[in-house]
Amino acid sequence: MKFSEVVDKVHGTVVVDNPEAEVDSAYCGDLLSDVMGHCGDSSVLITVQNHLNAIAVCSLAGIEVVLICHGRPVPDDMKAAAEREEVGIVVTDLSQFAAAVALAELAPSSK
Amino acid sequence: MSPSAIVERAVAAGMDGIALTDHQSARNTPALAECARRAGLRFLPGLEVQTAEEVHTVCLFDTVDAALAMTDWVYAALPKRVNDPDTFGDQPVVTWDDDVVELEWRILAMGCRRTIPETAAKVRELGGLYIAAHIDRPNFSVLSGLGAVPERCFDAVELSRTADAAQWLPRAEGLATVRSSDAHNLDDVARVWTEAECEFSVAGLRAAFAARATRLSPPLTSF
Repeated sequence: MKFSEVVDKVHGTVVVDNPEAEVDSAYCGDLLSDVMGHCGDSSVLITVQNHLNAIAVCSLAGIEVVLICHGRPVPDDMKAAAEREEVGIVVTDLSQFAAAVALAELAPSSK
Repeated sequence: MSPSAIVERAVAAGMDGIALTDHQSARNTPALAECARRAGLRFLPGLEVQTAEEVHTVCLFDTVDAALAMTDWVYAALPKRVNDPDTFGDQPVVTWDDDVVELEWRILAMGCRRTIPETAAKVRELGGLYIAAHIDRPNFSVLSGLGAVPERCFDAVELSRTADAAQWLPRAEGLATVRSSDAHNLDDVARVWTEAECEFSVAGLRAAFAARATRLSPPLTSF
């Protein structure tokens, strides 16, 4: 699924663009140690973790897009890290469950 | 941050004592202890443990040996990964006069597998104090992660530099409060503080906490 399709499906706002991103799976997680342990690459991470460490985990796990739920604001340092690490950030007003339903055609991410 | 520069700054700001609580590690406390000793500044070694719940918790000890024992216990439960300096930055271990002894290879930016109750028990065993860090913050705090301050774990709760004490006190479960700078750079050292009429030691602070006798500096209105 292309980055722009992810954005459309969750009625999201692009905070950090990643137009080249192509994801085939998704993972829901707010505990970053769990995300790091289980979320594979080429995936979108559905989370409420709107801070710098979420990007660090994306970078380590090869996650291409992070989808921040409940319209949580993205701090500047998180934005800067995502630009540097080439991780797309999309913010949606949806909950994690509603976002997962919207992206249900993706496979469950695992490793 | 150079240990001597931290001490210099704290002394210039009129602090009587400071604590160093790096993330998941007390390995720089020997250097800071030496700098503080030379400057006549009181010092408590400690570390900020990020628990299995991904909550930040501050451990304070009287001795560097106790803080290092706590560090070993935390290290044994860190993710089995090597730190990536490009992602998380370098993690230097320094001497009191600013030589870099080594770059810590363990990943100190992630949580460990120790839970809050387990960590509380270990801190007590080693004779330390256990404080819930920056409970007002929207990430990595007991309130953001767990919804409330867990019972019978903490000796006090910490408010960050901008927190309005009146707003957060009702959620402190009756525990004593402290405010600390959580300084990640030199400019932030000693910008806020906590006052108490007590010896700057674990026992002194424990008594001040029990008497709810701490007074917080005013919050900063901006960073």
